[in-house]
Amino acid sequence: MNNLKNRIAACLAAITLSVSLAACSSGNSGGSADNSSNSGASTIELAISKSSQDSAFVDQELLDEFEKQTNIRVNLQLLPAEQTTTVLQTKLAVGETPDIVQYNLASATTDLNLERNFEILDNEAWVSRLQNKEVLSAYGHVYSFHVSQDTGMQGVVYNKDMFEELGLSVPTNFEEFLAVCEQIKAAGITPVFMPFKDAWAANVWPAAAFADYAAKNDPTLIEDLNANRRNWAEIPAFADILKQQYEVYEKGYTNADILSDSYDMAVGKFLNKEVAMMFMGDWLIENVAEKDPSIHLGLFPIPYAEGASLGASPLGGQLFIPKKAKHMAEAKKFLDFLASKEMAQEMVNEQSYVSNFSDVTTPELPEYKQEIVEKYITPQNTVLTTDAHMLVDRSELYRYLQDQFAGGKTAEEVLQAWDEKFDQLMKDKGIAGF
Amino acid sequence: MKISKRLYPYYMIWPAFLVYSVFFVVPAIIGLYYSFTDWRLDREVIRFIGWDNFRTIFTDETLILALKNTIIFAIVTVIGKNLLGIALAIGLNMKLKTRNLLRAVFYSPSILSILVISIVFTPMLRTEGMINRMLSAIGLDPLTQAWLTDPSIVIWTIAAVSIWQHVGFQMAIYLAGLQSISKDYYEAATIDGAGPWRSFINITLPLLLPAININLMLTLIGGLKVFSEVFVLTGGGPGNASQVVGTIILRAFGEGSWGLGTAINTLLFAGVTLISIPLLIFMRRREVTE
Repeated sequence: MNNLKNRIAACLAAITLSVSLAACSSGNSGGSADNSSNSGASTIELAISKSSQDSAFVDQELLDEFEKQTNIRVNLQLLPAEQTTTVLQTKLAVGETPDIVQYNLASATTDLNLERNFEILDNEAWVSRLQNKEVLSAYGHVYSFHVSQDTGMQGVVYNKDMFEELGLSVPTNFEEFLAVCEQIKAAGITPVFMPFKDAWAANVWPAAAFADYAAKNDPTLIEDLNANRRNWAEIPAFADILKQQYEVYEKGYTNADILSDSYDMAVGKFLNKEVAMMFMGDWLIENVAEKDPSIHLGLFPIPYAEGASLGASPLGGQLFIPKKAKHMAEAKKFLDFLASKEMAQEMVNEQSYVSNFSDVTTPELPEYKQEIVEKYITPQNTVLTTDAHMLVDRSELYRYLQDQFAGGKTAEEVLQAWDEKFDQLMKDKGIAGF
Repeated sequence: MKISKRLYPYYMIWPAFLVYSVFFVVPAIIGLYYSFTDWRLDREVIRFIGWDNFRTIFTDETLILALKNTIIFAIVTVIGKNLLGIALAIGLNMKLKTRNLLRAVFYSPSILSILVISIVFTPMLRTEGMINRMLSAIGLDPLTQAWLTDPSIVIWTIAAVSIWQHVGFQMAIYLAGLQSISKDYYEAATIDGAGPWRSFINITLPLLLPAININLMLTLIGGLKVFSEVFVLTGGGPGNASQVVGTIILRAFGEGSWGLGTAINTLLFAGVTLISIPLLIFMRRREVTE
């Protein structure tokens, strides 16, 4: 009897042990097992956030075409949107890297340790055909791939039809902006929608205005901030800019419950014509147009001061090749395939991109985009937002901005708190001067 | 007698112990080591830095606020869930026609996903949401609040939602405890002239102690480890007003400060252990048997 019990126990122990070990080993060998089973063909892994699964680069027809031409299969790893960064950080840290990653260049420098983890692509053939290398470069090297150079613009998204009906013109300074708000409010419409439950949304106004202020009045400012020669709190204009955004709320020109409303409500608010304006990027215009093309939305610069430039986001959604990619050559082949004139033209046409390749023509753009190109991009009346210059995670700054609207911090206190956090983050990252 | 004591041989614990070791004990020990290092996303070399992480924890304003919020949340939910749980259990232990229905109704929130709770409560708790409208409608305007957006009350709101959700579970344990108390005691007490209050204090409470102990432990540990309620209702906001230790750990990992995140986690683990084990020993001693 005792013997039987012993045996059962031993079996159970063996089963548990083998289950736990199997769990470990399957993770290790999954990629290579795929390879050998598919006689001659190889498979590359492309990791992409679930929220970006509509990306032009992972269109199924395109992937099929690539497999037909090269006999290389692209296997998609869809990462949960809110964990994309963490999962990628972990994969890179333990060397379990995918062969290609889609991510944003600016965030890759802050979140994914670009220099250490990713391959420099300077010597790839397609680089010589690029019109704007900057949007794909960091630390002086091309680290990423994209067919578009349209970075997305940030400012005040506004309903043109509404402005026309009320006889309003685009405000060019803060006083005019407040006057416009007053008139819209008098017409019974909420002038500005602030979805500040999402803390990042509170950063659109300052990120564009700070950058424009620095570019026009104090060209070395951002460089100085990043080298700890100056602090955020000692720039009075920054506090003034934060106070302006608060004033818009304080004067009752916004939705009532700004800290309960979230960004995902924005499209609906514009579709229902409940609101006239919002501090946001032109991607919102595109999202509204998809639902109802009859609404005419436009974008004007954050009117913190006379004649401000339109904020430009850093380009997003690029492809990167990790240094530890197991199929480096195949991954590069995939980029070559995407960069080929035919494929690039197809993607540019389909997505209405502003082409970044000299031999690929930009198709006719949607009305709002055409206007932005004519009024701001061509006359170079744009400025990269501060976010594009930051080397560390900014989510804590967004929280402080949110706190300003919760009544927890004044404009000055927001900047002081951010100075402390910024200092700590830069120190942790090992930036000289901190 | 010997047979009943050793019904199963000791080696039967090995499978469970093995799983427990591989997935809990070993990571916990490794974590303990990492909490004394500067392990970061962008460091190639991990260095031992002694108590630095812990010094950071106790000097960072947000971390102190998170500790404070966690303690408030734990105390409020322990008191709320247990007092209401006992009250509900006693009420639903009486002979009511709808007793079973009511038990099911009060228990049902605890089987709902926290995400569902968030979707239901977030709109209700808005400034112009259902709760404030109800208060206004019955003339209690002064009581209306910005439940989830006023930094001074947000943690209390979250605690209240948590009590609402889990009180049914506590109730179920108390009900089981109540039903194990023999009716004879109450009969004898009534003959001796004791009223309902005296019976409650002198019979129900002492004999309910095992249930109270287990509930206190469960709610206390749950309260100190709070994460999901805060994460889904406010994400720690507005600003950092409702951050708790659990959400701060997530933030630390998100910023790439893995060493610091592990240190906060170690601290939470130590805190929960140091509070709950002595409490458990203390309470065990006071238990009485029939």
